[in-house]
Amino acid sequence: MKHHRLNVAAVAAAASLTLTLAACSASGASPDSSSSDDGTITPREISWLLSRPADGGVITAMEQIADEYAADHPGFSLNLITTPDRPSYIQKYETLAAAHQLPELFDTDATPFAKKLAGAGQMVDAEELLTDLGLYDDYLPAALNYQRFDDGSLYMIPFEFQLEFFWYNTALFEQAGIDVPATLDDFPAMCEALRAQGITPIALDGQDLWPLERYMAYYPFRMAGPEYVQALKKGEAKFSDPAGVAAVNWLYDLGQAGCFQPGFSSTGYADAQALFTTGQAAVYNIGTWELSNLATENLDEGVRDDVDYFTLPTIDGAVTADNEYVTPSGIGMAVNAETYDPLVKDFLAYALARYPEVYTESGALSPTTTASAAIPDNATPLYQRAVDQAGDVGDAIAMPWDTQLDPTSNTRLQQELTLLVQGDETPEGFIATMDAVIAENGPEAFAE
Amino acid sequence: MGAPPPPDRPRQSVKEAKMLPGRSKISVLVFLVPPLAVYAFAVLLPIVQSLFLSLFKWDGITDMKFVGLDNYVKMFTRDDVFWTSFGNAMGYLAICLVLQLGGALLVAGLLTTLRRGRELVKTLYLLPAVISTVAIAFLFQRIYSYEPTGLLNQVLEWVGLGSLAQPWLSNVDTVLAAVSVPEGWRFAGLYMLIVYAALLAVPKDLEEAATLDRANWWQIFWRIKFPYIRPVWITTTIMAATYALRGFDIPYLLTNGGPGQASELLTTYMYKTAFTHTDYGYASAISVFIVVECLVAVGLIYFLLRRKVD
Repeated sequence: MKHHRLNVAAVAAAASLTLTLAACSASGASPDSSSSDDGTITPREISWLLSRPADGGVITAMEQIADEYAADHPGFSLNLITTPDRPSYIQKYETLAAAHQLPELFDTDATPFAKKLAGAGQMVDAEELLTDLGLYDDYLPAALNYQRFDDGSLYMIPFEFQLEFFWYNTALFEQAGIDVPATLDDFPAMCEALRAQGITPIALDGQDLWPLERYMAYYPFRMAGPEYVQALKKGEAKFSDPAGVAAVNWLYDLGQAGCFQPGFSSTGYADAQALFTTGQAAVYNIGTWELSNLATENLDEGVRDDVDYFTLPTIDGAVTADNEYVTPSGIGMAVNAETYDPLVKDFLAYALARYPEVYTESGALSPTTTASAAIPDNATPLYQRAVDQAGDVGDAIAMPWDTQLDPTSNTRLQQELTLLVQGDETPEGFIATMDAVIAENGPEAFAE
Repeated sequence: MGAPPPPDRPRQSVKEAKMLPGRSKISVLVFLVPPLAVYAFAVLLPIVQSLFLSLFKWDGITDMKFVGLDNYVKMFTRDDVFWTSFGNAMGYLAICLVLQLGGALLVAGLLTTLRRGRELVKTLYLLPAVISTVAIAFLFQRIYSYEPTGLLNQVLEWVGLGSLAQPWLSNVDTVLAAVSVPEGWRFAGLYMLIVYAALLAVPKDLEEAATLDRANWWQIFWRIKFPYIRPVWITTTIMAATYALRGFDIPYLLTNGGPGQASELLTTYMYKTAFTHTDYGYASAISVFIVVECLVAVGLIYFLLRRKVD
């Protein structure tokens, strides 16, 4: 019996430790460094660890380009390893990074973790690379700025350019007798009017957490500009500052006004979108990556003619312009410095020059000024309007906070936000908790 | 107590040793050492490594920094999420044990009285244990769904309890139970099989004798059947408790610990700390705590259930 007891206990212990072991046992391995300075291009397989939809525009375009390149360079191939689910991807990439096992190319946002990687010399300077390839000036400044770290350095190359809108249903707005909200402060009244008609005001994918975190970024961006979150994450600004308090109160009010569907925290991406596209919800906050679903004949006929969009409303006394909002250039691609060689450079030179033309054929917005999106045949008039809107974007970007905060504070913020909006947490409690969490984790994560 | 003492392991091993009179100690060692070596390498070494890593602060990229016991100090004094997770893990454990052991005993007891269709019922109860966890998580996500209306809320509606309908996975008061139930339901069938096999081994004549002595069903169960199955019961309890303490997949898939930390368990919190926060040192400290917690739980169960025999 004694043996058995020990065994069960030990098995239990082992299983609970396996995960940790996986992380620590892999360290210390060094990648095969094939950097040669003589400039000889030796075709081989290179890999790109990425987090993009498997049948999306970026992957389709890059597969085509890789095939073209391989035709001239027998022996070359591009192995695309995609994990579209972002949290899973980040875990995968960070674990590989810790083990020095990242492939030639990999995706990352401008997170504190990526900053550490760059600082450890594991990433190629993208500004130098693009300048060297003569492509730097082709890129939209906004697309590059999104990829930059706070100190202005650039280590990631953008492959997309997106605008995030509030899509809304004009028929439901009419039914509730309301107009597009002129300021963020009009949101609670908008929600109440829609609720009174039995309409879900805003469809929210609460399961993925980042969509609600966007709402957290809006008020401070209007009130204090993009600098607020940069100071907040280091513990130099606080949630108890005016911009933070206003944002927290605004979100609490949204929750109290019943803006989001009940049970939003367990609603997934597809279900939230379905609430909007089936005409059950009036507003849906998402980016132009969904153009093919929201502004083409793919959209349900019942709502197709009623869908319109507005950009992030302002507030009284806003410090950012109306045409400045969330305009991300997507997750960026970093080049692994440890495996960077003439082949990688030559392939990137070919691929990045060719990319805008191939990519925009799918109707997507290019991060460069060298190609414009081809409007699909089945597009609604909204498609063209959204594409044109990209030409009128201001300089300041409302950065998604999940790419800004240190991961521990970010996780906690996402959790507390759900509670705040559900009314399970008071604004005061939220502010006290979050200021304490950031004080514990932020300054250390951003220590130079 | 009139029941004979249950078969005992130590006695069995003495018997086994006598069955191998010609075997030298060396030949026994030859057979024992390889598995022990594997065990030490695969089980003990990681525990020691975690213990070691828990004294450092390490993000995977920059150099490891020795911080002594600070990770433990943080865990016990500065981290409210840790304590919330610990409380939740205890709640999860309680619900899983009640469902798995209570359910197992109940169904196994009923099965022994069943004359026909035992195999069918056994198979049906065991079925959830062989379905993939991801499928179960998806299944329950639909069952608990509020908008669109899921099965649970629909049934409440049908029986006239529509006012109780709610988003089970979003309500901080119901979410812990909601993520525990699938885990409890899932393995109840497995433990039922084990308990059922033990109940079958209870000699019929003892039961009949007790019936002649006018013992009621509770006395028959408590004084005759239960002492007989106690060793199996201890094993089953230890298995269920340690599995529940290590429970991870269903809460992780259903709610990822949310909303807030309402369904965060120590295991999901450790996973996030390691792979989302890349704080491997602190995650190791939590995993060391989980090991200790499992050992304490096993010790307690063994001590409490064993003592009654003596």
